[in-house]
Amino acid sequence: MIGAMLRVMLLHLVRDRGALAMAFVLPPLIFLIFAAIFSSTSGDELRLKVAFGIGVPSESASRLEKALRAEPSLRFLEQTYDQGKETALQVESGNADVGLFIRGDLGSAETSPAVVLVDPGKLMAGAILSGQIQRVIGLELPDIGLARTAPAIESLVGGFTPEQTARLTAAIDTLATEQNSENDAAELVETTLLGGNGKSGPTVTYYAGAVAILFLLFSAMQTAATLIEERNSGIVDRIAVGHTGTDVVVFGKFLFITLLGIMQAGLIFTVAALVNGLKLMDQLPLWGLTTLAAALMVAGLGLAVASLCTSKQQAQTISNFVVLVSSAVGGSMVPRFLMPPWLQDIGWFTPNAWAIESYHGVLWRGEGLDVIWSPLLRMVVAGLLGLATAVVVSRARLKLS
Amino acid sequence: MTGDGKALSVVGLETRYGDRQVLRGLSLDVEAGQIYGLLGPNGAGKTTLIRSICGRVKPVAGSIKIAGQPNSQRSALRRIGLVPQEIALYHYLTVRENLTVFGRLSGLSRYETSKAIDWVMEAAGITQRIDERVEILSGGWRRRANIAAAILHQPALLILDEPTVGVDVEARNGLHDLIKELSRTGMGVLLTTHDMEQAEALCDQVGFLQHGRIDLAGNPRELVENAYHGHKEIIVDLREPASPRLNAQLVNSGFQAANAGRTWSSFGQFGKGDAEHISAQLEQAGFAVRELRVRQPGLDSLFIQLNREAAEASSEQAA
Repeated sequence: MIGAMLRVMLLHLVRDRGALAMAFVLPPLIFLIFAAIFSSTSGDELRLKVAFGIGVPSESASRLEKALRAEPSLRFLEQTYDQGKETALQVESGNADVGLFIRGDLGSAETSPAVVLVDPGKLMAGAILSGQIQRVIGLELPDIGLARTAPAIESLVGGFTPEQTARLTAAIDTLATEQNSENDAAELVETTLLGGNGKSGPTVTYYAGAVAILFLLFSAMQTAATLIEERNSGIVDRIAVGHTGTDVVVFGKFLFITLLGIMQAGLIFTVAALVNGLKLMDQLPLWGLTTLAAALMVAGLGLAVASLCTSKQQAQTISNFVVLVSSAVGGSMVPRFLMPPWLQDIGWFTPNAWAIESYHGVLWRGEGLDVIWSPLLRMVVAGLLGLATAVVVSRARLKLS
Repeated sequence: MTGDGKALSVVGLETRYGDRQVLRGLSLDVEAGQIYGLLGPNGAGKTTLIRSICGRVKPVAGSIKIAGQPNSQRSALRRIGLVPQEIALYHYLTVRENLTVFGRLSGLSRYETSKAIDWVMEAAGITQRIDERVEILSGGWRRRANIAAAILHQPALLILDEPTVGVDVEARNGLHDLIKELSRTGMGVLLTTHDMEQAEALCDQVGFLQHGRIDLAGNPRELVENAYHGHKEIIVDLREPASPRLNAQLVNSGFQAANAGRTWSSFGQFGKGDAEHISAQLEQAGFAVRELRVRQPGLDSLFIQLNREAAEASSEQAA
């Protein structure tokens, strides 16, 4: 009997080209776009476009410009501006992500000689450029760093003798003439990249999971809404007096949406493996378990929404609202770690977060079932609760309608 | 068919929606091979009766048996073939695919379904459209397919809810032939309709449902004959409602008003030429007569009369 319902659903999908494209073409396409965008913002490909200006020409300003222009992570506009306003204009007009204007002597400790011009919509760009300037000064222009800190040290130790001052000046001159001087002391901060036990790129694994659960939810809601069509067209009435009753309709749809979800997730992760080098085969069993749990969850939730709604239009409105909010808060659009703490806490109660956490745990951190059981269990329980709701409400509707 | 040869037996059925009583001791029988027309105004309880028969509304009193079995048993419900008013088919599937699905869901094996489809194609006359998608069929073919999907398991009772809504005359006549053919195979047919012509043409028995009970039941021709004893009905259509004084004259002459005083009707022994004579008299009295017809009264006349009497009884009760 369920086979008959599966056949109906399959033929519906196959004969509706729009639904077919929505189910199997759009998800991998959106994943590829997301992966391209977010790989570049979180990885090595991030290259800020910088507008650069010098108000007071000096040898130190020229050296800084030269060092910064050689930085591979920054892209400079070709022209060097001599007015702060002109430099700011490039940022305001969107020609550059961020601007840097040198307005005084870099060696002077009395004012801030360099001004970073930041678009309020790109605050992160300002922080990145400031960090890069500090790094370049530390590595390429240590004499300037020393010259700026010397007065502070002098006041702390109660002043330098003329002899110490002369030796300091000589040291600064020596540093200024040495190219790429190596600092003998160890750097204060060393960066170590963590994770990666699953050997796949973090951004790719994150967004493969994020896009997969987003589309699984949308697709499940859309497919489950056929339950309302069948109710309103009298098909459910007809089946209700038959051999099986109406439960077969709900179970048939549950099975179909689950299988559809597994196929959609499989397609997205296959594309991620082929195009972005995701190491899917290494973690196939746990990936399969996560995919099964996610597909069960969306099938149950989709049917619960469809059974509770009285019209297809109402179901569409509610499901769009639920899926978009859940996806925004749960991390399908922007990673949750970028959100304020209270929003991160709320996000953990969304199906998106459970699926993303489970996929990321398996494919990026290489975690086992002993670690990912919690999100897996949440997904399975949510799916079964949704299914139970759909069965109970569908039965009740037959009596009430 | 089992037991007493009745496809459906409803005795003393009472149902409630909350505080509102819908069916009030309703009783009716549909014999095997009989076509029973359930007539009544909107809100009389036709849908509630069908839902009760299908086990979707639990009665507070009374009993329903399908082919001798109480409808509380699942096996009794399986003896029902339900044809909803809507086209209850998957529109993106072909007729054959639909029949396959509904055959399987009605409990037939693959082999039985295949055999049943062969029979249904012939019985419902849909062989030439069997491999076309429902969405491209015309209204008449859709209605045929809608019925075909309900008879695959050869039910004892076929329930048709407004089976000819939205189809042209030719298709309607075809559907009438189909329903008659099905009843000849032994199926009891219960159909609801607002189309009195259809009820007269099709039904062996009709029942007038008013306020939750069958007010009048019987063979349609006998009911009309008994109600009007060979009298004819005269119907006067006015271009505009007459004055209260003129209306009082019509009432005193035995006419009854409808259509906000624009249509008046009466029954009597009218002969040839009476129509012209009455029309001339009415014109002379000051009525703006648009048309005057004399015809044999039908179920529609009886239906209107019963509705009018029920309304009068209700208003008297309220008073």
